[in-house]
Amino acid sequence: MTIWKLRNNNPLRKSYVTNNIKHNEFNALIRITVEMSKYLYPYIREILKSKEDIKENSVIWNDFNERFIELIKERFNIDSMRVKKLLNRDENDEIIIKSLLILSFCISNQGYQKLRNFLYDF
Amino acid sequence: MQNKFSFHQSSVSLEIIGLPDYSNNENKDQISIISQWKLTIVDKPLIEGKIEHLGPIMDAFYIYSNLLIKNEIPKYESKLIDIKADNLHIHNIVLKSSKPNVKPLVLKIGNSLLSDTINCFDQLNESPKVRIKKTDITTNIPKKLRFRLNKKVKFFNFFIPPFMAICSLILFSSYFIYFYSPLENIEKKEQINPK
Repeated sequence: MTIWKLRNNNPLRKSYVTNNIKHNEFNALIRITVEMSKYLYPYIREILKSKEDIKENSVIWNDFNERFIELIKERFNIDSMRVKKLLNRDENDEIIIKSLLILSFCISNQGYQKLRNFLYDF
Repeated sequence: MQNKFSFHQSSVSLEIIGLPDYSNNENKDQISIISQWKLTIVDKPLIEGKIEHLGPIMDAFYIYSNLLIKNEIPKYESKLIDIKADNLHIHNIVLKSSKPNVKPLVLKIGNSLLSDTINCFDQLNESPKVRIKKTDITTNIPKKLRFRLNKKVKFFNFFIPPFMAICSLILFSSYFIYFYSPLENIEKKEQINPK
């Protein structure tokens, strides 16, 4: 329930709340993200690989991109310019690749600290 | 008898061979004096080198991966290794030999192999069994980037204090607008009664 509520702090969502995320909640979200990345690393890796040789592995990339766009359309405010950028197949490659790369670099035991540093640097 | 540890991540493995530092009362199964290392990437030539090369190569990969995700120009250059992006998905690595007349080794790796390599280096860094001497990362940042970072910091240091001062001055002085100004009233009266 708490995670579900925290999710609604994202201003890109269709309906969101403007509560400030507390420091410990922010850290908890990072920990969950890192744990999920560890678990999903083989999939993340395959998606990244599929884009390296798009002729051979286009199915994986296309499936992922389609699902990504579906989710964004379903849950995010599609009138927002930033969301439109995520939906544009010509422009969203870079955002997706970099997000996946960040997740794939943070699967070690120190991944939590690494992801935290990446996010603070942005 | 030398110790050997291997770190694996999908298509990449890193092998470290060396001895414990007995003078430091270390356990038999530790490595502090690395004599050999090998980085194996599937379908790519074997990378191996002297101990003094491992630290700079790891630093190069870490700095490059940071540049890549921080929207900086993904390019790292040093005497030992160059890494630059061919495009968003492929990275070009040039490993230069310290021996004369040996051609540099050129590798092209994708994002998947790059993340495998970074994860192998992470495993090595986090391993309690292997101790590696940390090199000074900042010295390996390309000059151009270092200059840009310094310039950025200097610019902010130069710009922010006067900017804050002006803002606080404007905010503070804006309160005086509401105060009564006797001089202004005298001038107004003079304008109404020019005699």
